[in-house]
Amino acid sequence: MDPAPTTTPTTGHSCDAVVWIDEVDPQRAIAAGGSKMGRLAELLASGVEVPQGFAVTVDAYARHCRESGLDERIDAVIGRLGSSPSEAEVEAASAEIRAMFTATPVGEHLTARLTEAYEELCLRAVDVNVPVAVRSSATGEDAADASFAGIFDTYLGVSGIERVLDAVRNCWGSLFTARALAYRLRKGISHHAMPIAVGVIELIHARASGVAFSVHPVTGKADRIVVETSWGWGEAIVQGLVDPDHVEIGKADGRVLKYDVAHKRVVSAFDFAVGAVTEIDMPAKLADRKVLDDEQVGAIASAVRAIEEHYGHPVDVEWVISRHRRAGDPVCIVQTRPVTVTASPEEAAPAAYDPVALAQKYLFSGKPIPGR
Amino acid sequence: MANVVPVDEFATGEWYPGFKPEHFESPYIVDAASPFKPGDEQGFWFLDFHWSRGLTPLAATLWSSDGYCWGTQHAAEALPLPPGRGITARFAGTHLYGCALPETDPREIGARANRIGTNLPHFLANYRSIWEAGRDELEATWQYFRGVDFTGTPDLTELLTQGRRYHKRSMEIHFGVMYPMLANFLGFYGACADMGINPAEIGKFLQGEDTKIMETDRELYRLALKARQVGLEPVFEENEPLALREALGRHGGAASVWLTEFDDFLQVYGWRAEATCDVGVPSWIEDNTIPLGLVKTFLKRDDAHDFEAAARNALAERDEAIDNARSGLTREEQAVFDAGLASNQAANFPWWQDDHNYYIDLKVMLPLRWGCQELARRENADNKDDMLYLFWPELQDVASGRRPYAGELKSLVAERRQYFDHWFAKRGEMPKVLGTIPEAVEDPVLIEIFGLNPSAIKAVQNPDAAKQTVMSGVAAAKGTARGIARVLQSSDELHRLEPGSILVCESTSPNWTPAFGKIAGAVCDGGGMLSHAAIVGREYGVPTVTAVGVATLSISDGDEIEVDGTTGTVTILTKATTTADTAAETPAGVAG
Repeated sequence: MDPAPTTTPTTGHSCDAVVWIDEVDPQRAIAAGGSKMGRLAELLASGVEVPQGFAVTVDAYARHCRESGLDERIDAVIGRLGSSPSEAEVEAASAEIRAMFTATPVGEHLTARLTEAYEELCLRAVDVNVPVAVRSSATGEDAADASFAGIFDTYLGVSGIERVLDAVRNCWGSLFTARALAYRLRKGISHHAMPIAVGVIELIHARASGVAFSVHPVTGKADRIVVETSWGWGEAIVQGLVDPDHVEIGKADGRVLKYDVAHKRVVSAFDFAVGAVTEIDMPAKLADRKVLDDEQVGAIASAVRAIEEHYGHPVDVEWVISRHRRAGDPVCIVQTRPVTVTASPEEAAPAAYDPVALAQKYLFSGKPIPGR
Repeated sequence: MANVVPVDEFATGEWYPGFKPEHFESPYIVDAASPFKPGDEQGFWFLDFHWSRGLTPLAATLWSSDGYCWGTQHAAEALPLPPGRGITARFAGTHLYGCALPETDPREIGARANRIGTNLPHFLANYRSIWEAGRDELEATWQYFRGVDFTGTPDLTELLTQGRRYHKRSMEIHFGVMYPMLANFLGFYGACADMGINPAEIGKFLQGEDTKIMETDRELYRLALKARQVGLEPVFEENEPLALREALGRHGGAASVWLTEFDDFLQVYGWRAEATCDVGVPSWIEDNTIPLGLVKTFLKRDDAHDFEAAARNALAERDEAIDNARSGLTREEQAVFDAGLASNQAANFPWWQDDHNYYIDLKVMLPLRWGCQELARRENADNKDDMLYLFWPELQDVASGRRPYAGELKSLVAERRQYFDHWFAKRGEMPKVLGTIPEAVEDPVLIEIFGLNPSAIKAVQNPDAAKQTVMSGVAAAKGTARGIARVLQSSDELHRLEPGSILVCESTSPNWTPAFGKIAGAVCDGGGMLSHAAIVGREYGVPTVTAVGVATLSISDGDEIEVDGTTGTVTILTKATTTADTAAETPAGVAG
């Protein structure tokens, strides 16, 4: 590890505490920036539009824990838990560890590096105290496990270096939520085996955002892209707080197969007083309005197709349409993950019209015919 | 835990006076027809709507043996149906209950699945020639019977035997075509529903093709307009259907010319009985009351029914439904849909389901009926349909002179008439289902023709059915209608329908079709998306809900009801204040 401060802060290469999405070698992006940030770097390298930002690396986290003495104190708490603690014991340990993270200031060296990087981001965004998304970006094979989806903290609309530093420490601490602790205990994984990185990403001013799947997330049908969307930021959708518009698109020809407009009661909006994205009631005039037009649906679908092709397996993505986006511009991808759902032979769409197979499936199966 | 409705009440061993078990002796494949027997509660029995009057001894044994226990069981072996062996029949009094015969041996089911894997594609590839060959064969036999001089034939035994063979052969052809067509259609239906197509739309994809039955309706309607044109409306207004023929004859002039045209019409379209496969029911030629009554009803309507516009609308609605469905499918799904649609257009089950009645269901029992009537004449029977109250072996004995009709058989016939009337009056109280009730059935005929979907099976088990005011069923033909319910037990009561009535019945068959020209809505206990009522409801633009299960129990004659054929909901708005006028009428078909 090279402790010497860099004299050329814009490159980011000479210091392992921070890596920029657009500068890190995609090959080592996941190792340094965790899976979430690493994939953004991969996407950018493959030509997909992603927001600007940098990762507070795994090394920075490890060094913080080591140098501040957190490592020993955490190990002591976990050591006391034993192999089969009660739920209450796990929760108490989680609270204790997370309090330690909150109470332990970021060291001088790292503070300087993060300040530098944040100022660089402000410069790139042509903004003072640019609002950012601070996202946990876990490492290790288990980080991609669906069990970890949404388990670590994300802060949207964080503005100013002090708040950014606080958000980074909270993200670190979220490696020790009760759920994460319990999971690692059950699987016998040490927290040292899955250190966490944190992404600091320019907050895209979202007109609309949502998720998209390159296969049907329930049936696994691979012939379509499924998009769910609402106004504002995607948090309300990801957390299941809003019933989103549901769109299905044919993968082969990009045709919109169906667009179900939902009654959207809640919106994730930027609260300037608090300085964060929070959930509020959806304005009545927007609640029943269709969120996406055909051009926007097409842009989302083409990004999803490109990402699936790049990885060679089905993916889900979180995307944002910026207020400044114009027709023809790509949409911004803020996150992507592999999708593990696959179509069971039962549910796979038939490849051809086979009256015998269909009669067997629907008529002679002992189950009611669908739709009756 | 399956619900079991006991059959004990009907498995008493008592049946038509003078009945002996050997009266049912007739070839069958898996299970023979009979009155209910102890142990039958292991099966799932449904009250068959086709014969809502009940069946005379001859009609009962002929249909149950030749139709179900030969026709369906033969076809279920020939295709075969992997998990099913066709339908068998039991009688509770004069009322027929059907039951699908399951195949449960897994190895056998596998072997049968292999066979249908070869036979169904072969059938679909050759559907047209297979059906037309069967139809032409039956038409040739029909022409033979038309040419026979029943009166001049000394020994009727041979003719009756030929009539029986014609009847039985027609059922082989009928179900031999119906099972594979239904398997193809229901597989397509399931695939469509799985691809997210609204099930209410699927029925439209194959609608709008002209059938012999629709042709009959158009011709009859044309005659009605002609009657109006030549000023015969008052004659139709002033006379009840039963008296119309005579009144028109008396009127002379234009009426005589009209009657000649009417008779020409009957020579083409009148060889149809007033019920499906019931030897106990006359044809339009034998009894003009029904077609004349229909003309009378048509004339009550001021706004002319535009058949051509209705046909155009049906086709336009079909094309729109297909386009809408395709637009929601991926390219891969469109390939499956298009091929499935092409296959089902080539072998169009909804079309066949209406059209074949002209060639089979409404007339194949007529030669037997003629033979019975001729025999009645020779035996000086009190009524011309007395022979229909004999069992088949008794009929053969009388025809061949082995046994006299006068004496024992004649008095048995009188007793059996009473038995028939007794059970006729009980039709409304007959349980809709008996035995062990499943959640779902696999026989395509039960699913499609009887509308035995899980929700209908559930509905018929509701102990409070008589008290409910909101019912649901299959949304068979879109639109909403309000009107006064006319709860009909059989097509004998079609004359009770007024323009704007809502028809409520167990189910309809082709002889009910003309009624759709005047009713505002229709509700049926049975019948699926492709049942007669559903198809005709769509063709005529009459809001229709089928497979309600218990509509005839829950709705009383005279209730004001609303039919929502778009959502499949039926609501009783106002109960009728009096229950008068609802007593069962004398069955016209069996009145001497």
